[in-house]
Amino acid sequence: MRVIKQRPMNWIERLYIFEAIRGLWTTLKHAARGLFRYETLPTISYPEGQPEIRNTYRAKHRLMLRPDGTPRCVACGMCAAACPAHCIFIEATQSDDPRIEKRVMRFDIDHLTCVFCGLCVEACPVDALRMDTKVISFEHRTREEFVSHLFDLTNWDPKDYPNDPQSQVAPGGTKNAEALKVWGMEVK
Amino acid sequence: MSNYYNMPKLPTEASPKVEIFVDDKAVMVPGDTNLLEALKAVGIETPHVCYHPYLPVSGNCRQCLVEQEGPRGRMLVISCYTPVTPGMKIYTPASSARVKNARKATQEFMLVNHPLDCPICDKAGECTLQENYMECGQNESRLRPEYGKNYHGNPAHQFVDAKGQVRGGKHVDLGPRVLLDEERCVQCDRCVRFMRSIAGSEQLQLAGRADHTYITTFPGEKLDHEYDLCVTDVCPVGAMTAKYFRFQKRVWLLSHTPTVSMDDSLGANIWLDHADGRIYRVMPRCNPEVNRSWLSNTSRLAFQEFDKNRLPSMELHKVTFGNGKIAIVAGGTCTMEDLAAMKMLKESLGDRAELFGGSLLKVTAPDGIAKSGDPCANRAGMKLMGFADVSELLKRASEFETLFTVNANLFGEDANAAKVLEKINTRVALTPFDDETAKKASIAIGVRHWSEVQGTMVNSLNIVQKLSACPVCPDEGLKAPYAVVAFLAGEKLESAADAFKKVTEYVPAFAGLSYDTIKSTGKLLEGGNA
Repeated sequence: MRVIKQRPMNWIERLYIFEAIRGLWTTLKHAARGLFRYETLPTISYPEGQPEIRNTYRAKHRLMLRPDGTPRCVACGMCAAACPAHCIFIEATQSDDPRIEKRVMRFDIDHLTCVFCGLCVEACPVDALRMDTKVISFEHRTREEFVSHLFDLTNWDPKDYPNDPQSQVAPGGTKNAEALKVWGMEVK
Repeated sequence: MSNYYNMPKLPTEASPKVEIFVDDKAVMVPGDTNLLEALKAVGIETPHVCYHPYLPVSGNCRQCLVEQEGPRGRMLVISCYTPVTPGMKIYTPASSARVKNARKATQEFMLVNHPLDCPICDKAGECTLQENYMECGQNESRLRPEYGKNYHGNPAHQFVDAKGQVRGGKHVDLGPRVLLDEERCVQCDRCVRFMRSIAGSEQLQLAGRADHTYITTFPGEKLDHEYDLCVTDVCPVGAMTAKYFRFQKRVWLLSHTPTVSMDDSLGANIWLDHADGRIYRVMPRCNPEVNRSWLSNTSRLAFQEFDKNRLPSMELHKVTFGNGKIAIVAGGTCTMEDLAAMKMLKESLGDRAELFGGSLLKVTAPDGIAKSGDPCANRAGMKLMGFADVSELLKRASEFETLFTVNANLFGEDANAAKVLEKINTRVALTPFDDETAKKASIAIGVRHWSEVQGTMVNSLNIVQKLSACPVCPDEGLKAPYAVVAFLAGEKLESAADAFKKVTEYVPAFAGLSYDTIKSTGKLLEGGNA
């Protein structure tokens, strides 16, 4: 433990009036800076100015897609098992593709309950779930709308992820045609 | 039980104790069994895949290796097929690195072509390979990624996946209820042995040789048997999956309630696996005396109707039963507690009430596996309680003015035979379901189903077995039948334990019993078979 002894105030400080004026000056200085040199302020005026978000930031989830547009999720429930907030709800069903056993029928994430810890992303064995959408604001009118469903989670544009090769494999991406050729390989 | 020549002999309480040396320490083990069971009896678990206590020993997985001191030195033997002999010297991985390595190597071979798709496998969480891997495997993968896993099964089901890997047989339709995943199969042949020596109908076969072995049915035939869902239980991996439970729920999310199946008088011991307030599947609960590890499809799939067509709860008021004679009829699914409450009702009404019990369904022959063929589950209990058979009621139906049925769907079971009962004017039905009897009744009162009540029943082998309440009741206001009947009798039974106290008063054979003294596998009543 360290004890910090406060320096006792000297007599000018104890007079109060000069210190009060000094405080007003600080306020005035920042007010003037907001008026004339707005761009140097360390804060952003949020709704108009958006913060710069990196793709490693844990934002809203998205589900990665296979070349044919189906979600990559195999409905194993690992994310739901890892989730500390119990906000992921998954129902599985049999896949129509004979090569794939299981497909996801319902995938709901309740963003009101979600704590954005990213454990679900780490748990995913097929890299289907990611949190790199950079969407950080959730504004809805009802509680139900905060629950993202399968359609919402898979409804993203590969153009928003130009540097991610995995995203470009999805329909609409630059590598989709190439991947589809491999994916649609004849089943022997 | 089948008399197959190498059916394992399981230790019992009467087994003679012999001394053997495990890791140079002397231990007393049951002497009339195999080494695997003997080691289990002293708390040493041996990993195994193909061995099953109620199936003939096949000894093909080589996972249960131990070292035995013999005339030619210490040799590796499989413990499942080695009989215990007095004075034998055994070495387990605790002292022998050779056994440890041998088990590890076996485990590695087992996983060479076994797909690592545990996240999507329905068996994950209760898979023998997973358990064995944690116990004796844990080897670093020596698999070269450029080769990957290879599929050697049925060539007709082979395909190449998007990564260029040979795979196959992901969902082979074996029959109306079972699907096979040939990739995951480890060829332990448990299912083949089950169908051959327990079910008695050899519908599954191993085809091919060595690495290329695969499970199949005979050409043009399907796996279709009253006990075919048991192959999904005996399957140590996720190769055999039941269609009704496929992808429904991850098994670690299920809670288990031990209870007794009340659709047959053998009272097969079951687990009700439930989550989110509904039952997802029914699994056999091992009881060596009753159903061993088996369960018929009828009992297993009955749960799908448990929450359908139910009567809602209603508020009960004091009732009077008129002046005429009253027939109180107990159905087959009535527990001992319900029967005791009905006896209380009879006592409150006096001599004008008579007790009947039973069902109008036909009694068939026992199949020797997990069914006695008698659909009236608690018939032995009714006999102990002094209930007359329901056929007596049909003969003397004209004497009665009131028919009071509890869990007895007489009109639904045999409409023709029950026609005489329509002459009885006042019909009160206590039943969980909105069935024929409830529709024909003047008053139908909803009660809890047998899966949602605590209680006891006496099975056809005269064993008292416990039922536990599974928390899946669709309407929390519903009461157990014994509570409703006791209320109508003007008395109060707060809990199943209170009702059981009444049972011990009425039935001398139950004297001194309580829920705590009845084991999970039941208690044999004095006096042998009923």
